[in-house]
Amino acid sequence: MLEVEGLRKRYGDTVALDGVSLTVRPGETFGFVGANGAGKTTTMRIVMGVLAADAGQVRWNGGPAGFATRRRFGYMPEERGLYAKMRVAEQIEYFGRLGGMRAPDARRSAEALIERLGLAARRADEVDGLSLGNQQRVQLAVALIHDPEVLVLDEPFSGLDPIAVDALAGVLAERAAAGAPVVFSSHQLDLVERLCDSVGIIKAGRMVAQGTVAELRARESRKRLRVVVTGAEPGWIDRLPGEVVAKTDRPHAAVPQGAGDERYDEVILVPSDDQEALRVAASAGRVQHFGWQEPSLAEIFREVVA
Amino acid sequence: MNTILLVARREIGVRGRTKGYRYGLLVTAVLVAVLAMLPKLLGGPDDHTVGLAGARADRLQAALTAQTAQDDDLSITVTRYPDEAAARAAVAAGDVEAAIVDDAKVISTTVLGGRFAVALDTAHRMVTTEHNLTTAGLDPAKVAQAQQVAPMARVTLNGTGEDADVRSVIAMALVVILFMLLIQICTWVAMGVVEEKGSRIVEILLTALRPWQLLAGKVLGLGVLGLFQLVVIAAVGLTAAQVSGAVPHLPDGTYGVVAGVVVWFLLAYAFYAAMYAAIASLVSRQEELSGVLTPATMLMTASYLVGFFAVGSPDGGLTHVLSLVPPFSSLVMPVRAAVVQVPLWETALAMGLMVVAAAAVLYAGGRVYQRAVLRTGARVRWGEVLRRSS
Repeated sequence: MLEVEGLRKRYGDTVALDGVSLTVRPGETFGFVGANGAGKTTTMRIVMGVLAADAGQVRWNGGPAGFATRRRFGYMPEERGLYAKMRVAEQIEYFGRLGGMRAPDARRSAEALIERLGLAARRADEVDGLSLGNQQRVQLAVALIHDPEVLVLDEPFSGLDPIAVDALAGVLAERAAAGAPVVFSSHQLDLVERLCDSVGIIKAGRMVAQGTVAELRARESRKRLRVVVTGAEPGWIDRLPGEVVAKTDRPHAAVPQGAGDERYDEVILVPSDDQEALRVAASAGRVQHFGWQEPSLAEIFREVVA
Repeated sequence: MNTILLVARREIGVRGRTKGYRYGLLVTAVLVAVLAMLPKLLGGPDDHTVGLAGARADRLQAALTAQTAQDDDLSITVTRYPDEAAARAAVAAGDVEAAIVDDAKVISTTVLGGRFAVALDTAHRMVTTEHNLTTAGLDPAKVAQAQQVAPMARVTLNGTGEDADVRSVIAMALVVILFMLLIQICTWVAMGVVEEKGSRIVEILLTALRPWQLLAGKVLGLGVLGLFQLVVIAAVGLTAAQVSGAVPHLPDGTYGVVAGVVVWFLLAYAFYAAMYAAIASLVSRQEELSGVLTPATMLMTASYLVGFFAVGSPDGGLTHVLSLVPPFSSLVMPVRAAVVQVPLWETALAMGLMVVAAAAVLYAGGRVYQRAVLRTGARVRWGEVLRRSS
């Protein structure tokens, strides 16, 4: 289990981290989200020992994470770093050796990753001749080569095309299934929602929300109803109890479920009385949809961070 | 240790396979070989031809033969002609370089010079003197006996007067090669440090190894490349000089001098590489590098100039003192050692002091590097890395 506890970090007068804590269990994928400058990168750099915290600690399997422990972590820094003049296979292997692998193991592992990440045609090219997407795949291979016990990836998905995103997502899922805690930061909240078991939202150096996506939804205070009614007379929406967040009323819209040339209304509502809302909708016309709307992670994020 | 070797091997592999390194080494080797052969190429062969005609041709021929027998580097082929007209025609046709007629005049297309002219002149003096003395009524046998002059014995007080020119040339070549290699390899160290820091590879590297291991591996690997260059250049230069005949025999102790240069190279490299690495770790972009390196480069250039000056004045007051003071000693002492005999204790003292200086710079440079290498962005100030003792 990876535990981060009470990290604090100041740069002069600027407080970068103000008591950040998080826990990632084996096999869990943790999504780290927050605005630019909120403290994601600083936290990850401290976890990797690249930066020293002013206070707080990082523990792995109950003990403090020292240099020897961190050698077994896999890391992808925010600002990508590769040797421009080294060849792809050679470079991945080199980092494997630095991570403590024997030469034949490093070679085998590098070859496997090259295949897996679709770099086979580029294996003998120098890195500075690769596209950015391919450089990123090499960067990921460098993080994965020594079969790390923990993965810490800073913005691994930024700049990747959809196919590379899928390949990367597959690899991360594999590592998590093998029992490694995986931590990554991202601004692509749909991706975080899809891939992560748990999410941490950081704002100005503080964790403002943390838990599974379901838990975060449950904490969402403003519950929303989505109501779709066809064939209603104009004005019924005003009779709904509560606050209308959004509405579409299309008098002659092409209606789903083949209901002909009728009026079609869709309303997002924060109801003061959900049963009364149902009665109003049912009396106004034909209720096509009536249900709680699950907020997306993006909506939760905006709410929490606002 | 294993980690350091891994880093060193990467440096050797990646830098050693660049075109810059390979062609650089090739060009340098060719250049050194050409320079070593230059005296021979420019001087041309000391093989000469002379025609003899008229009076006392036999005696002249004997006198010339006696001279070339004493000098390994000079050979004169003699051709006899029946009269002046034939000799003149032979010179004009280029069959011989010069012709002596009647032991009285020498005919050539251009003005003669060098040892060849001296040899002809000497032969003429001997034969004419002999003729005059005999004509004056002296016993020809006694005259011949009197002409037998043994060459002067050469006694040199500092023991190295012989081959002084060759020694100076070797010393000058050494100081130039040492300086250029040091600048080149240390600049590679600095560029490598900035490459890793600027591209943030160092963040990944330092999760797998310690800063001092990374630095040690880099310095070691590039040092091996530099040492290889030095050995190749020295071997090519000495071999070319000997094979071409430009330097038929190396002065005594040349190999010792070259071995000393290798040691001095290693010491100077340790000193300057640590200094360059520490300075380079303060900046994040290659463009900033030459600016911050200027003081270190000036120090090296100053040593170089003193070393160059020492070729002409190996025992002058300034060169004598600076040959003991690090880091000047690394470029001045090899020059002195090549030109004059340096007392053993002075060599030992100079090397000992340089070892201490190199160790101190390695230690301090390692500390600076460790503190500065992860601080990307604006240039790190000296005060920040030297003051805090974390």
